[in-house]
Amino acid sequence: MKARNNPFRTDRVLEVRYRLRGVSLTDLLNRLQRLSYRAAIVGPNGSGKTTLLEDLEPEICALGFRVKHLRLDDQKRNFPNAFIKMFLAELSAQDFIFFDGAEQMSALKWHAFKAKSRKAGGLLITSHAKGMLPTLTVCSTSPELLEEIVSDLLNGESLMSLPSTTKLFRKHDGNLRGALREMYDIYAAKPHINPSAVGD
Amino acid sequence: MSDLEIRTRDDKTNYVPGEELAGEVSWRTDAAPRDAELRLFWHTAGKGTQDVEVIETISFDSPARSDRRPFRFTLPESPYSFSGKLVSLIWALELVLASGETERLDIVISPTRNEIALQGG
Repeated sequence: MKARNNPFRTDRVLEVRYRLRGVSLTDLLNRLQRLSYRAAIVGPNGSGKTTLLEDLEPEICALGFRVKHLRLDDQKRNFPNAFIKMFLAELSAQDFIFFDGAEQMSALKWHAFKAKSRKAGGLLITSHAKGMLPTLTVCSTSPELLEEIVSDLLNGESLMSLPSTTKLFRKHDGNLRGALREMYDIYAAKPHINPSAVGD
Repeated sequence: MSDLEIRTRDDKTNYVPGEELAGEVSWRTDAAPRDAELRLFWHTAGKGTQDVEVIETISFDSPARSDRRPFRFTLPESPYSFSGKLVSLIWALELVLASGETERLDIVISPTRNEIALQGG
C-alpha cells in the first residue's frame, strides 16, 4: 500500500470536520455571544477541539471580527515574553483571539493574559479542563463516532477486514486522532487491500 | 458551471528531471476570472505532516471568460516522485482561478519516468 493511496493519510484525516451532536453552529455562536465572546471549548486529546475551533472561524469572521491565532502544545508550552507582549499591545475590539492549547500556559501567565486580552473583541480557547473561561461546549468522542469517521474515510469499503473500532477506541482512550493514526499503520500493512476502492 | 482543463503535450504525464513540460490550459467560466495561474509543485502525502513546495508559477494576463493558454516549464532535477508505506512525494500541476476554482493534474518526475517505490518505507 503506497502512502498516497492510504485512506488514513494526514491530508484526508484533516478534511474530517467536527460533527456536532444535538446542537448547531448557530446555537454555539448564540451561546458564545451570551458569554460576551469569551469562552472555552473543553475536551480531552483527540476529541476535535481544534477542528471545532477551525470550523467556527468563518462564522466569527462573518460577524466582522478579525481572527488572531495563538497555539501552544506539548512541544511548545510557552510564548516568548516579547512576542506575547507585542501581541497583547496590538489588540483592538475588532480582533478575536483563537487560542488553541491554552491549558499549557502557567496559571500566573494565564491570569495576566486573561486580563490584558479584554480589549480584544473576543477570546475563544481550547483546553483539556474546565475553569479557564466559561465553557462553550465539551467535545467528546464515542466508538460509534470513530466507526462513522473510519467508514467515511474508507469511502464505502467494508470495515470487515479491519480491527474493531470499539477496541481501537478503548486502546486510545477515546483519542480519535491516535486511533486514526493507528488505522493508517494497519491499512499500510495490508497489501491485499484494493487501493482503487479508496477515493480522494 | 465552470470547465477547467490541463492538457500536456501528447497527454504525457511521466517525465525525467530537467525535461521540458509543455501543454495548454483552458477554462470556461460564468464571468472572466480576475486572475488565472498555473502552478508546478510537489507535496507529500502519508502519515506525518504534509510538506508542499511550489516550484514555479505562470500567471496568465487578462484572462477571458473562455480562454486557452499555452504553458512551458523546465522541470527541476529533484526531488523525484516516490512512494513508500509512510510517505509519498507527488508532483502536480494546478490551474487556479481567482474564484477559487481549481483543476489538478498529477505527474511523475524520476530518472526512470516511473514513481520510485521505496522498499519497506
